[in-house]
Amino acid sequence: MAPNSHGFELELAAEADNVPLVRHALRGLLEASGISDERTADIALAVTEACANAVLHAYHDDTGTFEVAAELAPGGRLFVIVRDYGSGMAPRVDSPGLGVGLPVIAAIAEALEIDSPDGSGTLVRMIFDLRADAS
Amino acid sequence: MTPGSTILTGVNTIVVERTEPGVEVVVVTGEHDLSTAPELERQLKGALESGAAVCVDLMETTFIDSSVLRVLISAREQADERGIGFRVALGDTTGHGVRRLLELTDTERRLATAPTRAAAIAGATNGPRG
Repeated sequence: MAPNSHGFELELAAEADNVPLVRHALRGLLEASGISDERTADIALAVTEACANAVLHAYHDDTGTFEVAAELAPGGRLFVIVRDYGSGMAPRVDSPGLGVGLPVIAAIAEALEIDSPDGSGTLVRMIFDLRADAS
Repeated sequence: MTPGSTILTGVNTIVVERTEPGVEVVVVTGEHDLSTAPELERQLKGALESGAAVCVDLMETTFIDSSVLRVLISAREQADERGIGFRVALGDTTGHGVRRLLELTDTERRLATAPTRAAAIAGATNGPRG
């Protein structure tokens, strides 16, 4: 049997400086699970892109928060949710990114779901297969 | 010549070295994402305005996100437009996270990479298309 699942939940101001904190928490969680450094780096990249979407796109010039929940599940999977309460996934012509965030997440995650629950903000749900050790 | 300027965020640094004539070497160490991309953009802008060739050293970079990648691609494009030599050193010691992003976005060729810092400096000082 796998050990008990465990994880973390963070609620942070939607500011760029908080994104490295999410990676730090994620690495702490994955370190104990014995997966490769390469796979950890992949997952850190995908989760960073999801957080960047919340920080850069959700609130435009307003302040707000975003939440990250990660759970290491029995069976070698990691569930991660990144949630904001901003303006949703509206197109933005002055986007500071390359527009590659979601394709990068899709390439690394086993499953990617984007939702706007109750029409408020964006919820990105990602599932990573830790056993695959590749994507 | 000033020896360079350093922005410290733990072990994650952006240092501009001006130790070799005719080239500004922007050394990016550790992890960089949207939190440090604006600083990298400022340093690259300064380097591109210096009149020297520009080398971005990613040999000790462990992680970048697409915000940083956008800054690097934009710097390369500006260098080309102005006829400034530009290279990115990307080698064996560069972190997996950096290579992975370039691979997934198919953007390595847009950065004008060289496998060592020496090769990147030589390529950059050889001219924009050298």
